[in-house]
Amino acid sequence: MKIKKLFLNLDDVANAALFLAVFIGIWQLVFVLGIWPKISLPSPATVAESFANIISNYTLFKGIGITLGRLVVGFFISIALGAAIGFAMIKFKGFGKTMSSFSAGLLSFPSIAWVPFSILLIGFNDAGILFVVIMSSVFSITISTYSSIRNIPPIYIDAAKNMGAKGLSLFLHATIPAATPSLIIGIRQGWSFAWHAIIGAEILMSIVGLGHILSVGREFQDMGQVIASMITIFTIGLLVDRLLLFKLEEKVRSRWGIE
Amino acid sequence: MTKLEAKNIEKYFDHDGQKLQALGGINLKVNDGDFVCLVGPSGCGKSTFLRIVAGLDRPDNGEVLLDGKPVIETGPDRILVFQEGALFPWLKVIDNVEFGLKIAGIPKSERSEISKRYLDMMQLTRFAESYTYQLSTGMKQRVAIARALVLDPDVLLMDEPFAALDAQTRDLLLVEMQLIWERTKKTILFVTHNVAEATMLGNRVAVFTNRPSTIKKEIVIDYRRPRISEDENLSKYQQQILAELRPEVKANV
Repeated sequence: MKIKKLFLNLDDVANAALFLAVFIGIWQLVFVLGIWPKISLPSPATVAESFANIISNYTLFKGIGITLGRLVVGFFISIALGAAIGFAMIKFKGFGKTMSSFSAGLLSFPSIAWVPFSILLIGFNDAGILFVVIMSSVFSITISTYSSIRNIPPIYIDAAKNMGAKGLSLFLHATIPAATPSLIIGIRQGWSFAWHAIIGAEILMSIVGLGHILSVGREFQDMGQVIASMITIFTIGLLVDRLLLFKLEEKVRSRWGIE
Repeated sequence: MTKLEAKNIEKYFDHDGQKLQALGGINLKVNDGDFVCLVGPSGCGKSTFLRIVAGLDRPDNGEVLLDGKPVIETGPDRILVFQEGALFPWLKVIDNVEFGLKIAGIPKSERSEISKRYLDMMQLTRFAESYTYQLSTGMKQRVAIARALVLDPDVLLMDEPFAALDAQTRDLLLVEMQLIWERTKKTILFVTHNVAEATMLGNRVAVFTNRPSTIKKEIVIDYRRPRISEDENLSKYQQQILAELRPEVKANV
């Protein structure tokens, strides 16, 4: 069992390495063909150099730290706020109906479109960026909380009530655990909205952070730095989703016996 | 002594804007320690009646009395065992069994002691640490029964709990159910559409009419226990019940 799992992993790693090699190969080929000027499309080696550069002067690590710090704070506020609104929507049915159409509209609202509003309302600062992150992810948490609870098979709630659960004990011991598998999906989606939002907001509103590094690259026409930041953003997004959120979802699904 | 009494229970449902009467005035008295089976054509409202007794649905008319006092809401004095088991997939078997005790605020050590006893009785000890998706349907129903018994309910309500089981497992549980009843002396109300099952379990079998349903006839089964499904002496009771049931099922088709 364990050995098989190890082999599977090796397979995955080999596939990923092959994919990466082909990708870099094509990139190098396009570079050599000289379709774009070198300043617009640098070679993989130049980008690696830029990488080494922003790593060695700590720009990259500081940027990652600041961005993730903001993201975590904003995202946790989103979860708390979104869950609270979602619970209120369950409790007050009329509010729930209105709010669910309202949230659906705001869910598809582009995060970047919050930026001008946030700059004027709050300012060109950390709080302004947090505001954009929260507004971009809170509604996904709200809707998923609301629908997760509404879609709980009624038989679980009936059984729990029948065994004496009511009020808070019903909520904690039946409602929340029964809704957990789909709540996790909502959290994963909310995280991806928050991640989109923070990079956008940092490009436009920040003087530090990953988005800012990207934006500086553009200003100095340093395509190496632009691509290096993009790769970083891609990698962090991938790692958080695969290693953290996806794993969590898998774990919950297997525990709950779903697939 | 009368443990449970249903007085003129009526229930209506909305069906495409029309009012549909499911229960047309159910009257039933169940003595303390009695084992009563409810049979009837499918869709006649036996399950609805059980949910009303459990307090999970409200009747539109009439009332349910437990020890002479009207039942207002659901609660652990009348535990319902669902057809699907309704076990909680997020809990291990042992935590499922202890759920009601935990809700009641019973301390951990006492909970373990009680649950251990019933896990043992239902032959589940080996599976205490399993999650429910790892169990067969028959095992799940054992857990559901254990989860009900730990709460020592006044009345045990069972809604076709063995309907989804294969024949062998069902026969086994039907015998076990009789032993449990003899050991615990619980008052049991058991809904089934299976006449053979009803004659094996019940001291009394109440036959429901088609919708709007009432209780058409109660048949007393005064026969030794434990009864097994192969016992041919049960067939005369089965014929008696089927004779009552047949016109109802026909009217239903």
